[in-house]
Amino acid sequence: MPFACAIRAQVEAHIPSAFAVYRRPEFKSIQTGISEIDQLTSGIPISALSEICGVGKTSVLLSLLAYATRQEHYCALVDAKDSFDTASAQNIGVDLTHLLWVRCGKSKQELPPLEQAFRVADLLIQGGGFGVVAVDLSNFSERLLNKIQPATWFRFAHVVEKHKTALVFIEPRPYATSCAGLVLNLTRKSETWQGNLLENLTLEVEVVRTRDKKSPHSVRPEVSLQAQWM
Amino acid sequence: MFAAIHATDISQTLLLECAHEFSPCVESTAPGIVLLDLYGTERLLGPSREVGKQIYLRAKELGFDAHVVVAANPDAAQYAALGFKGVTFIPREQERQKLAELSVNVLSPSPEISETLENWGIQTFGELAALPSIPLTQRLGQEGLRLQKLARGGSQRFLVADEPEESYVAEFEFDDPIETIESLSFILSRLTQELCERLASRALATSEFRLILELESYQLRTGKDDQIYEHVWKPPRPTSDAKFLCRLVFLDLNEITFEAPIKKIRIEVVPSRPRATQGGLFVPASPEPEKLEITLARIRGVVGSVDENGTACAGSPQTLDSHKPDSFRVQPFSSVAPKQDLPPPVKPSLALRLFRPELESSVELTGDRPHFVKLWKKHRRVVSASGPWSSSGYWWNQSFTWMRDEWDVALKMSKGKIELYRIYLDRLRGKWFVHGAFD
Repeated sequence: MPFACAIRAQVEAHIPSAFAVYRRPEFKSIQTGISEIDQLTSGIPISALSEICGVGKTSVLLSLLAYATRQEHYCALVDAKDSFDTASAQNIGVDLTHLLWVRCGKSKQELPPLEQAFRVADLLIQGGGFGVVAVDLSNFSERLLNKIQPATWFRFAHVVEKHKTALVFIEPRPYATSCAGLVLNLTRKSETWQGNLLENLTLEVEVVRTRDKKSPHSVRPEVSLQAQWM
Repeated sequence: MFAAIHATDISQTLLLECAHEFSPCVESTAPGIVLLDLYGTERLLGPSREVGKQIYLRAKELGFDAHVVVAANPDAAQYAALGFKGVTFIPREQERQKLAELSVNVLSPSPEISETLENWGIQTFGELAALPSIPLTQRLGQEGLRLQKLARGGSQRFLVADEPEESYVAEFEFDDPIETIESLSFILSRLTQELCERLASRALATSEFRLILELESYQLRTGKDDQIYEHVWKPPRPTSDAKFLCRLVFLDLNEITFEAPIKKIRIEVVPSRPRATQGGLFVPASPEPEKLEITLARIRGVVGSVDENGTACAGSPQTLDSHKPDSFRVQPFSSVAPKQDLPPPVKPSLALRLFRPELESSVELTGDRPHFVKLWKKHRRVVSASGPWSSSGYWWNQSFTWMRDEWDVALKMSKGKIELYRIYLDRLRGKWFVHGAFD
């Protein structure tokens, strides 16, 4: 052991930070407004990349946007396939004056919509000042999403680390792997029909990945989303 | 110290122009006379005693004879300029002695007071100043007292500064029409810089930046008249930052292809008071307005400005007051948006994702209920259905009228998964569409 200490001392004499332990900063978070998810994850982490996947991801995203805009955060939604429903957002309580909606693939631009979405997200993060930047990649085929280079996710995770922004991707399934600070997977449990009316949809929430601590996989709370006319 | 310039038989504009060369604070007191505030100009122009000579010489250069007086009191300087010739300097506290020889007529008293003073044998400032104030006021009133104060050189007042009408316009005509944005950038940056400096010198900013580009006439070739490109940028808050304005303009100009070379450039800015705001200590950070405007311009460069319907591709969404589904408009996004009163937060609810444009589909009915829905080239069995929810609108306008029967359906997808969709029957066209998916 004295020998190891001597080597260590010699190395540190030349490179002082060689054995320094890099501590990730404490993450602040923004609540989603859904108590079951907030209790499980303590919210969507700021300065990190998060992924929300599965059935019900749009509802969770809109709830997050509603909560964030009510806290006077400015939010941006990069809508890669132009599928954002303004009426749903308003009903859930999103303050639309605090929301920047970017619709990709709607004009005669040379770039494909997926590429546009990534570029816009990059510009928004670099611009700073947004509490939440959400990128909706839901309606793309898995084949296309599988082609996204891992370096893209790594770069996003690295860039957002320096900004006080929560970067959220909405996808059919997780793609960012270890670059993500939080991965939520939502699965449909059941839906309730009251006579002739769709009443609510019950989801099961699974935390696939968190940055702070390993989530207890056995805990999978259920979230009930009411239909908007209820 | 104050300076007074008196000259006859020249235009007031020329007199003011001469005065503005020595001080930014100039009062156009009366035709043929202007007053200057020389406070703070000592380091630039030298001692006040010398400034009078400089003004006199400058007036000579401009082609007129001026009588210049420098004094600590604006009224003393004014009346001395009317009474004395050439250059006069009146040291502080010596106004009364210096003005004593002037005729009282210089004060332009009213005919009644003038007659009274004449009857009393009062002819000079010194004689008027020597009279006891209280009896003078009893006989001539407040006007008499005012005239005496002026004669004693003891009155004090502020100058009413003459603000010249400033036009914030800059233009440049090229000797040879230019064809590239790079060539334009040099002149555009210079003109913008000049305008912003002029604004900043008057503690102003601009709330509107107008660029007018005159393109070369192609009349001989195309039969068209001169073309003009005009665009207005309205920064989110008044600014005098030339770099920001240039970046904003160039980001938009890069998206435009001009049909002809540019032969003339003209920039007009609308001056306005700069607005200083301070964010709240406990309010989350918001995007910086200038930086955000640049970011939005860049985003427009990536996704385009408007879609095929003329709706903006980036901005703040707003739902329209209409029963027609998916009625919205996109407004310019601003990070200085006023806080709105929001209804209390609702419980998390099921959101809809829309298909734009809607997916045309075919539906097999059992009775009047959907049984199979064709989605993405496959027939999906309807597990549950809720509907029909009928709605219609704009019946008074045939081009906008709509009528639909909506159904919320649970479809059995591949691998036994159940997904919720909203489908509708367009009763005017008699076709089924998939409007969106519950997600």
